[in-house]
Amino acid sequence: MRVILAEDSTLLREGLVRLLAEEGHEVLAALGDAVTLVREVGEQRPDLVVVDIRMPPTHTDEGLRAAVEIRRRWPGVGVLVLSQYVERPYAAALLAAGAERVGYLLKDRVAQVEEFLDALERIHAGGAAIDPEVVRQLVVRTTHGDPLARLTPRERTVLEALAQGHTNTAIAAKLHLSLSSVEKNLNAVFDKLELTRATGYSRRILAVLRYLEA
Amino acid sequence: MRGDDSGATGGGGVAAGDLPRLRRGLPRLRRGLLRLRRGLPRPQRGLPRLRRGLGTVLGCVTAAAGALHFLVGGLALGPFLLWPRTRAGALDLLTGGVRRLAALERARRSVFFGDVFPEHYRAADRKVLRYLAVRSYAGLLCALVLGLLVFGAVLAGILGYGVLRGTIGWDELLTQVLLGGVLLFLDVQGLYALAALDARTARECFGPSERELLRRRIEELAASRAAVVEAVDAERRRIERDLHDGVQQRLVALGMLIGRARRGRDPERAGALLLQAHEESQGVLAELREVAWRAYPSALDSLGLEEALGGVAERCALPLRLRFEVAGPLPRAVETAAYFVVSECVTNAAKHSAASAVSVSVAREGALLTVRVEDDGSGGANENGGGLTGLRSRVAALDGVLRVHSPLGGPTTVTAELPCA
Repeated sequence: MRVILAEDSTLLREGLVRLLAEEGHEVLAALGDAVTLVREVGEQRPDLVVVDIRMPPTHTDEGLRAAVEIRRRWPGVGVLVLSQYVERPYAAALLAAGAERVGYLLKDRVAQVEEFLDALERIHAGGAAIDPEVVRQLVVRTTHGDPLARLTPRERTVLEALAQGHTNTAIAAKLHLSLSSVEKNLNAVFDKLELTRATGYSRRILAVLRYLEA
Repeated sequence: MRGDDSGATGGGGVAAGDLPRLRRGLPRLRRGLLRLRRGLPRPQRGLPRLRRGLGTVLGCVTAAAGALHFLVGGLALGPFLLWPRTRAGALDLLTGGVRRLAALERARRSVFFGDVFPEHYRAADRKVLRYLAVRSYAGLLCALVLGLLVFGAVLAGILGYGVLRGTIGWDELLTQVLLGGVLLFLDVQGLYALAALDARTARECFGPSERELLRRRIEELAASRAAVVEAVDAERRRIERDLHDGVQQRLVALGMLIGRARRGRDPERAGALLLQAHEESQGVLAELREVAWRAYPSALDSLGLEEALGGVAERCALPLRLRFEVAGPLPRAVETAAYFVVSECVTNAAKHSAASAVSVSVAREGALLTVRVEDDGSGGANENGGGLTGLRSRVAALDGVLRVHSPLGGPTTVTAELPCA
């Protein structure tokens, strides 16, 4: 896939370029700031953008604002945001427009090369990739006196994996379950969370995340 | 046994005589030392009583002069004071005289009572006016009390003469002595109170009173406390940034290198990546050490200030000349502050000043440690920048002063004076 990178730490940027190149992806541009990013995306229309949240000049949320703008203007372009630590408002802002072709990962996750590449693939395929840590925090924050408390531990793990953006097949492989058992667990989750079955796959993630955010 | 005992008491008899005297003297000595440490003026116990008495009598004369000034000046200038157009001029005239008389009083207090007033303290006109008014009143009252004392002495003389001649009976003498004693007591009491009033009013007018000094000190302390909290926060933020933007990024990059090596299908390539990862891990270690050192140099604890400053010189990009003239150990807080003054200023010089050399001098004179950092760069250092403000609060927290002299075009000199009490 064709990728544009925006990351101000040279070391990390170069590492990412190499990694992606080794995996057979085409890196169209590797930038050190968020200002030129939007322009580059407009010109080159990559499949995917990987962007750090904190970027020069102010090192606050330039990268995130660029990511939101890219998602608004070119919905076909996948966006993966890298963050120093879990910042819930940022994750919410990114997901506000839907959970298609979007990801929010902690930077540390990049070192888990397989997981990182897997996340890229998922976003490229139209899915989502939310950092397990983000999901965990969201779940922990919302378990006090709400329907989530009614989930069994197994159902909860399945929900977490789902919220991260994994497909049913991936969840089955990840948790060493049969596909049918994953489906059964998920149906139980949706029933307990009172989510309608009519919505599509990514709608489910969105619904879950929205629910968790509330 | 008994003989030994009696011998010991006999021998100790000489010392036993000295001991109570010594014991009585001790609290006085301690009080004196305490005062010396706090820098308080010594009480004027050492000055001869005669001199103080003379000062008091002279005070009555100056009080009369002051009262005369108010009376004559008031009468002569009164009409002009009432008329708005001439009021300012008349008031100036009156105040001029008052100031001169007040200066006389100040000199009287210094010469006869040994008072020490701050050199350049100048009280407001109203304050001086009020002082002289109170002073004149108190002085005249003092004259009256002294007069009564003299009068009493004369009466006592007459009484004594009468007793000698035998014209006064015992019962009459007893009544007179009793009455005279009570009056003498009241008179002396009044004299003491007036002397205390005189000293207090003088201190309030010619120098900051104790209360004012305390108030100022409290303000200083409140300000420095707030600044310290601020400085500590700023330092934490800096450390957080150092860790996240430096060490964490490098660790992620390192992890990525290892991850790539593990995925590599070509063993030779994997080996090269691992080698790179190994080198990178050394780099991360070095960076971590740097961050830790910037947060607090461990050498300061184990090897002392001179060695820690040597470390600064080593890591400094510019040639650094260090002059270190400190005998004996320094308080820990002073060492730390001195270290950060030097390291921050040297870093600033290397980063911003385009200097070609830095010289650092650390010298102790008595209870004052002076740290001086000089560069030959382009000057124009921002005194209100984060670094220098942090240093200033750090130094202020120890009651020290930080001075920055950095004209445009340079050179820059930063001096910190740290008391080592």
